[in-house]
Amino acid sequence: MSGLGVVVACVTCALLAASSCVASDLPNDSLYQLRVQLVSQTGSKVGLNLDQGYPTLLSMFYGSCTAACPMLITSIQVYESHLDPASQARLRVLLVSFDPSADTPEQLAKLAQLHRADPVRWTFASASETDARKIAALLGFSYRRLPDGTFDHSLLIKLLDREGRVVGATTTLVGDTEFQAKLQKATSANAP
Amino acid sequence: MPIAGAEFRSALPVGQQSPQLVRSFLLQQHAVTNAEFLAFVRANPQWRRGAVPVVLAGGDYLAHWAGPLDPGPPGVDLQPVTRVSWFAAEAYCEAQAARLPYWLEWEFVAAAGVRERDARSDPAWRQQILDWYAHPASAPLLPVEQRVANVYGVYDLHGLVWEWVQDFNSLLPSDADPEKFCGGAAQNLQQKENYAILMRIALLGSLQATDTGRAVGFRCARDGENAP
Repeated sequence: MSGLGVVVACVTCALLAASSCVASDLPNDSLYQLRVQLVSQTGSKVGLNLDQGYPTLLSMFYGSCTAACPMLITSIQVYESHLDPASQARLRVLLVSFDPSADTPEQLAKLAQLHRADPVRWTFASASETDARKIAALLGFSYRRLPDGTFDHSLLIKLLDREGRVVGATTTLVGDTEFQAKLQKATSANAP
Repeated sequence: MPIAGAEFRSALPVGQQSPQLVRSFLLQQHAVTNAEFLAFVRANPQWRRGAVPVVLAGGDYLAHWAGPLDPGPPGVDLQPVTRVSWFAAEAYCEAQAARLPYWLEWEFVAAAGVRERDARSDPAWRQQILDWYAHPASAPLLPVEQRVANVYGVYDLHGLVWEWVQDFNSLLPSDADPEKFCGGAAQNLQQKENYAILMRIALLGSLQATDTGRAVGFRCARDGENAP
């Protein structure tokens, strides 16, 4: 019966526009219920649920930022460096830019390279202004463009389980031990 | 209604330093009504009460309607729809090939009086807003367009409901305490008429996108100068 369900779901997805079937079978409280379109550093069009099936760290940034954003990336690398190799291999990282005009796929690819981010597990993506606003609203993340073209924004990393439910969050760049423990738990082999 | 763009000095702290250019745009004449929102949920079943994921609208979403496709007795049809989350409001506007207005656009039009584009230095304009704030929130909502329109022909920007704006979550410095912001900014203000507007900024800044307040509605906006 469940096998049949999967077949039916796949056929339905194939028939509908991709955006229409994102939400099927997701928990009600999954952030992946939000339908938005992202463009990744490889230029591919993906949804917020790109890493569905993997525990994921999700945050927002803008690439031309000189202070907080490199720190955000380094901070995530430090958090993941404390995981055992198997857990680390399960973890995915999605960073969404709210500055789509500056953060083209080329720029995002450069940024990924600069930080030696594992291209299999790390995705740098940008969203249209409207979609970025929706993702920010979903995360409780705030940002605003200042007159000089830079942004004032939150520092916030959300930890999602395999189905996109929020299971942890931190606003501390380094040394949030409670968050580290949640990350360990979410990336363990038998995590939900 | 078409709104001709102009330079505008916002009450936001970032806007006080220098005037900002508001581009010409179109703003809906009245707040979206229950009847209009009903047509939207009829056409978009995923936005009916009970069908919306909890991450996109809180549990009170349209809770005051008699049913998922029934706003209630005929008298409520022309009342502004409330108990809608920011996500639902934005989805409604997108379905009309529109969007929620930006705060700066909303504030620009809301600064108008019946006869002038910028009535903010008029004590009567300010008093009207403050009187509404003092009005008990439990009183039944009036239908839209019962008061005099402003100089643009736009109704009820003050005195009926609070309204979502596209950038509601970006009005305050990140991680600021809205109350502290409001108090502190108001103290620094040279023009105290901004106090009435800062109250609204503080309220919007305190909302989550899934909130479905009894007195929070919305209207849509669109880029451009002429109605399509």
